[in-house]
Amino acid sequence: MGKSIVITSGKGGVGKTTTTANLGTALALMGKKVCLVDLDIGLRNLDVILGLDNRIIYDIIDVAQGRAKLPQALIKDKRFGDNLFLLPAAQNTDKSALEPEEAKQIVDELRSEFDYVLLDCPAGIEQGFANAVAGADEAIVVSTPEISAVRDADRVVGLLEQQNLEEPPMLIINRIKKKMMHDGQMMDVDEITRHLSIKLIGIVFDDDNVIGFSNKGEPVILDEKSEASKGYRNIARRLEGETIPLMTLKEDEQGGFFKKMSSWFKRK
Amino acid sequence: MQAAVLKGYKDGYELIIRDNADFDQALSELKDLFRKLQLDTVGEEKQISFTVNTERRLLSAKQKQKIEELVGNYPRFSIYKFVSDVVDTKDALEFMEEHTVHVNSDTIRNGQVKLIKGDVLFLGNIHKGGILQATGSIFVLGNVEGILHAGYSDNVISVIAGNFKRAQQVRISDLVDIIEPDMQADKVVAYVNDLHALSYTTLAELKTLRPKIFTQIGGF
Repeated sequence: MGKSIVITSGKGGVGKTTTTANLGTALALMGKKVCLVDLDIGLRNLDVILGLDNRIIYDIIDVAQGRAKLPQALIKDKRFGDNLFLLPAAQNTDKSALEPEEAKQIVDELRSEFDYVLLDCPAGIEQGFANAVAGADEAIVVSTPEISAVRDADRVVGLLEQQNLEEPPMLIINRIKKKMMHDGQMMDVDEITRHLSIKLIGIVFDDDNVIGFSNKGEPVILDEKSEASKGYRNIARRLEGETIPLMTLKEDEQGGFFKKMSSWFKRK
Repeated sequence: MQAAVLKGYKDGYELIIRDNADFDQALSELKDLFRKLQLDTVGEEKQISFTVNTERRLLSAKQKQKIEELVGNYPRFSIYKFVSDVVDTKDALEFMEEHTVHVNSDTIRNGQVKLIKGDVLFLGNIHKGGILQATGSIFVLGNVEGILHAGYSDNVISVIAGNFKRAQQVRISDLVDIIEPDMQADKVVAYVNDLHALSYTTLAELKTLRPKIFTQIGGF
């Protein structure tokens, strides 16, 4: 019996879908059986980030309304063997087409098959949020070091605490710009964690590769060298119970002569 | 054994309705009693009002109404009030709730509203956008960055005391004030003044402003 984790934030555009895709992929690479569920009905894009958008035949609404069986709607990501599956959202209905009870039933069914069921929550705290939280055992709140995102995260943590989840919500701080945080222009990681008073499970640095890889339909985690990739891998390992120190905020040192020279020859 | 007894005191008359007596019997005895009383005091003009004591019994509204109707037949007599030696558990609990100082250490997050009956000694956190409402006073020891609302919704006697310098707003009863960053450091008490406006004062002043706050702590 696996566990279901909802990935939510309140505010839009902080990286819920990217986090879901990368965390799911990281767990799949560690040999876990993972199912990603896109609950952003009407505005799905988890499938696009994973490059699986051309393979959708049935979606979650088809399953909920009995037009398809659950295994028919699941899309296997062949790059990761038998480990990563996606249950896509519907495109041409809205969030009220799914009831929390139906969502819970689907998640319960998935949980018996998979080690992890990651639920990608839509922005906002309306029905879409209720659907995503209904079936969740645990929750990850994604925030960026901006006051608006943190304020919304605070609201969402409050709502999650009323849901009687098995574990208190966990926090990911995404899109950290090292330089800005160093200069004190961005809110500090410690400050955010203390303010929200929930457990910090990882930080992810702002990384241009994320957009580049998403546009190619590949999770950035496949690029082992990128900073964001390391952040997501660490979070996946912490979910599995490992103890790993947080990545340091120190700015990169200026490279030596050879490093500079090699950068001239790098493909742009 | 009489079911209804009339007793006279210095400061008035008391009608005792024995708690072990049948109510209908007591009512018929009262009827006789008042008829006699009316005859005995013919010619007198003075109004007499009675306190009805029901001992260890609580009368229902209907029973009280019956007694009042009976007394209503005699223009010179009236009922001042009903008293008893007991109270409803529900009323007692409500009284307790409203008259004890609740120690609270919740975290009130953005968008959450927490309503507490009675006074609060607050040790928790109020995040920006969170609201703590109390029907009584609020004493702040915790970290407040949100909104404090004492005397919710119409109690102007209540106060807010403690460090609310970082709060967004302070509200008492129907009054609202936005906390400005340049507040004087020693003004740690918010109260409603005689002109029905929110005002701030020092802790030392509180004792003269609201002496009752210091007597109500502890005891039923």
